[in-house]
Amino acid sequence: MEAPAVIERIGELLDGSELGTSNTSMRIPTALRDAAALAVRELGIAPSATALTTAALRATLEAVVMQAALDEHYEQYPQARPDLGDLAIAAAELDGHPLAGQPERLRQAAAEIARNHPEASSDDVLLWAEARALPAA
Amino acid sequence: MTRLVVLDNEAVQALQDPAHPKHRHVVSHAQVVASRKRRAVAIQVVVPTTVRVEAGWDRTSPAWVFPNRLRIADSPLDTASANIAASIRNHTGVSVADSHIGAVIQSAHDDQITVVTSDPVDMRLVAGDKDITVAAI
Repeated sequence: MEAPAVIERIGELLDGSELGTSNTSMRIPTALRDAAALAVRELGIAPSATALTTAALRATLEAVVMQAALDEHYEQYPQARPDLGDLAIAAAELDGHPLAGQPERLRQAAAEIARNHPEASSDDVLLWAEARALPAA
Repeated sequence: MTRLVVLDNEAVQALQDPAHPKHRHVVSHAQVVASRKRRAVAIQVVVPTTVRVEAGWDRTSPAWVFPNRLRIADSPLDTASANIAASIRNHTGVSVADSHIGAVIQSAHDDQITVVTSDPVDMRLVAGDKDITVAAI
């Protein structure tokens, strides 16, 4: 299957309203299973370990599909690919961060951090810009 | 902590059209959401269905393949939402789609609500007493 068809199909499956369930023979590390059971029982983070596993799997698949769709879009429209500065501004806007209103400061911070940390994330840039905005002690 | 991101009409149109002047800006928001989902942040993007109508987003149309793949859920105008939206419209005189956005905001139980919009003033108006973050495009 081509990537677009795979993205499409996974999306359809995630959207599916089918309530049927399946037993699986999936093997997971015993310690992980026990940790999940303990978290469910003692911390109440989900109704059951199965619900916890299902939610985590769904969230991961949604992230993967979304990124695959974006990557395909960037391939088709390279000018649509945001740079680190764009992402830092978008992250600040989504969070209502005080620096959201200072895009040039965020672009400057992105340029600085990218020099030494090419894999930096938008949240790294926000943190760096925030630190730079603090008055020197 | 759960986060909800709501798109308005222009955000949807910008996302769909690679030639739209705000396309890269809104794609940046989508990219930040995708990256955060990958890090297991509980964040969801929704589009009120009346916004979809206003923007012409037909999920069966090939023109909307890219937004369709971004895991943006419909927030339908059901009976309860219609009542809230009607009340908002009666009090503010904003459009049906903006009233629906207000209903989505006022009904949401998420810890943080962000609206990606070209009309911050109306969004704050329809949000009523609800604390929202506005990502202005």
